Amino acid sequence: MHIVDGALSNPVVIAGAVAAAGGIAMGLRHLTLERIPAAGMLSASFFVASLIHVPIGPSSVHLIMNGLAGLVLGWAAFPALFVGLLLQAVFFGFGGLTVLGINAVNIAFPAVLAGLIFGRLASRGTPLAGAIWGGIGGGFAIALTTAMVAASLALSGDEFLPAAQLVFVAHIPIMVIEGVLSGFAILLVRKVKPDLFYAANGATA
Amino acid sequence: MIRAALIALLCAAPLPALAHKVLASVFPSGSAIEGEIGLSNGDMAQGLEITVTGPDGGLLGRTVTDQDGFFLFTPTQAVSHTFYGNMGSGHVAKITMPEAEVAAIMGQTVPAPAPETPDAPTARVTVRADTREAIAQIVRDEIRPLRREIVLSREEQDFQSILGGIGYIVGLFGLGFYIAARRKLADAG
Repeated sequence: MHIVDGALSNPVVIAGAVAAAGGIAMGLRHLTLERIPAAGMLSASFFVASLIHVPIGPSSVHLIMNGLAGLVLGWAAFPALFVGLLLQAVFFGFGGLTVLGINAVNIAFPAVLAGLIFGRLASRGTPLAGAIWGGIGGGFAIALTTAMVAASLALSGDEFLPAAQLVFVAHIPIMVIEGVLSGFAILLVRKVKPDLFYAANGATA
Repeated sequence: MIRAALIALLCAAPLPALAHKVLASVFPSGSAIEGEIGLSNGDMAQGLEITVTGPDGGLLGRTVTDQDGFFLFTPTQAVSHTFYGNMGSGHVAKITMPEAEVAAIMGQTVPAPAPETPDAPTARVTVRADTREAIAQIVRDEIRPLRREIVLSREEQDFQSILGGIGYIVGLFGLGFYIAARRKLADAG
């Protein structure tokens, strides 16, 4: 999921950096005082999630957990995920510093979109219904991320369809797992600390 | 808080501390350049086409990795060799062997067969060139798994760096908190 240094052409990398800067600026405007602790927590869980590998056949894929951040934070997920990505690049060598922008866009934008589409649904109605919408949102964020990774590779010269299929198929189990995890996390939050959502949505509504 | 508990749980889980990071290395192997390409989760690049380019970007040749992700390339020019392989999904390996090392490989000539001295009773063991080559081959094969172990263990994330990263996140968001709080207080004042 993390594209490494040198895999993309320069225009794609530059466009990604510009888009990421815009997303972070937008996210920081939505990051109110009340949401900073939640953003930090989700940033930390995103940072750690990529170390959890799920074995699939002979290979393995790692968790991403961008959807949950988007569902809870909306636009504010952008800076939170960016911080997580930056530290992953520095500490673990995932991705790289030059491709940080495009990686941030590929991972944070689907999260924000999932938050905008499903965040409201996940915070309303019964906790169970909210959890189901949250799970769909979590899976949706991964699906869109794979499409965007494939699109970045396609813009750099790879054939889009084979690359997209490869990335998408490899991440189907992750979509399912993250959907379930996001759903349970939302269920827990809705039951134990529902104001996490209401505070978040109160500010955007 | 729930999320703190979640993170604590994630940290406590026995992590297979490997990530999808591209590993690539090249090293001299007799009169050839040997290299290895794979992902840090142990998936080696099988049957991957490697393009070899010179310092000016000109194509020097191509080679293909075997089922263990190893490839061999015999240099014909004493210039720096850049090896490039694309494993798809944004996993690209690019590694360069500097000119001096390539020159050292090419300067290595096969030693002439030692003169056979069947009569002279000598304590010195003379090793014939082909035997020497065979021994070199065996030694290379023997240290190959060790080399891979070293590369993999270097890639392992220890607990400290995970905790360090979380510490940075706490610090950064604490700083954000501080700035936001100051702004709020200034507005109120």
